[in-house]
Amino acid sequence: MGLRITVDHGLCVGNAQCVGLAPAVFQHNENRQSEVVDPDAAPEDTVLKAASYCPTGAIRVEDARTGETLFP
Amino acid sequence: MASSATAAAADPDDLFAPEVIADPYTYFGRLRETDPVHWNPRAEMWVLTRHEDLVWLLRHHELFSSAVISTDKRPPHPPIDPADRPLFDDVREFRADQLVEKDRPPHQSMRAAVHEYFTPQAMEGWRPFVRRAVAELLDEVEPQGRMDVLEALAAPLPVRVITQMMGVPEEDRDHLRELADKLLYINRGEPDRMRHLMTGIEGMIEYVSPKVDVRAETPGDDFISVLAQAEKQGVFTRHQVLVNTALLLFAGHETTMNLICNGTLAFIRHPDQWERLCADPGGLARTATEECLRYDPPVKSTQRIAAADVERRGKTIRKGDRLRWFMAAANRDPRVFEDPDRFDIGRQPNTHVSFGAGIHYCLGASLARVEGQEVFRALAERLPALRLEVEPGELSYQPSIQFRSLTSLPVAWD
Repeated sequence: MGLRITVDHGLCVGNAQCVGLAPAVFQHNENRQSEVVDPDAAPEDTVLKAASYCPTGAIRVEDARTGETLFP
Repeated sequence: MASSATAAAADPDDLFAPEVIADPYTYFGRLRETDPVHWNPRAEMWVLTRHEDLVWLLRHHELFSSAVISTDKRPPHPPIDPADRPLFDDVREFRADQLVEKDRPPHQSMRAAVHEYFTPQAMEGWRPFVRRAVAELLDEVEPQGRMDVLEALAAPLPVRVITQMMGVPEEDRDHLRELADKLLYINRGEPDRMRHLMTGIEGMIEYVSPKVDVRAETPGDDFISVLAQAEKQGVFTRHQVLVNTALLLFAGHETTMNLICNGTLAFIRHPDQWERLCADPGGLARTATEECLRYDPPVKSTQRIAAADVERRGKTIRKGDRLRWFMAAANRDPRVFEDPDRFDIGRQPNTHVSFGAGIHYCLGASLARVEGQEVFRALAERLPALRLEVEPGELSYQPSIQFRSLTSLPVAWD
């Protein structure tokens, strides 16, 4: 399926913009850092917007099939 | 009576003691190691100093409210002229509508409305403007061989950037700079500061309000247009639009000033790191700026109020208790940072908490980073002979427990 999304927990500060924009894709864990719960549960442009909203650039988005970097 | 004066001077909970203002790292570092969740009876608040505790507190916004100014019924400190007490109440009411004072749920939609304007990519787009502004400011002083970093560079730069973001035309810049200077009184100790501050606030309202009407009809790519659209959508009230435009000006002003001054001073005090930056300004500006943010952060501490009873390190924090969390101490926590008192401009990773964490993580962080990177890079490229022009003991800081603000920073390079 479509996207491979990774969240760098060394960078994630729990700002929760991604959770607000795409709650079906991103949820906070018990540490209050973002986890990907389902990479394909929102349209690709919503996921890319969520990644771009991350204030620390912790979210990386790739095409799961080709490995092409979609963000950043 | 004499003995009580002595006792007051030696009070270990006096956060305004001259030695604590001059060097917060020794005092708050000791607290971090001996009593990391400390009740300060004099200030009537909890003082938190460990990195782990700050991150925990900031990520649990449901336990710790940000509505600190609006709910603080204590008299102003340091004291103000008694006649200005009504002004103090007006200022408090004004500040209660700042985004930084809001909790969820309203905070979420308000932040979402302005967040896109300040993303890392969006702020990258401002880098050429910032670079040009830094170059112009340095062009003015370079032939003189000396400057007060605060006056010549650190104070004017953020005002130039923010007024550009507000879409202020060239001919209004000086007026806005005067208002920005008045707004800085928010962090001063002078007894008459409320009058200056109110002049700045009223001036901002008068200036911005008609602009909001115009931008609501014909939006541009400026920040006031963003807020005007949010007002149209019912996310912001008009009062909130005005308050948060002013917030942009004072939140981005003093903090950036301090980043530039404190960072420049750190370089002057660590010639090996300055030489290192001068050898590769473009390559090291990024990590160097992060280290400046960690080592001597623009904001020493910020506040919250407990929204529930909470246990931490064997202490019971009661609902309604005030807490002040010191990033200045957490940024030197040896549990997180190797050799924490060393200024190392190549430090990576660098998980300082100078921009906070959680839902209130500094909205302007990416802008501050671009400004810091461009300033330190330009100084290293143009003024490698930079040195302090006064004795280190002559430098002084504003008597604030929130901001780490030098009162001036005279340097020379001739």
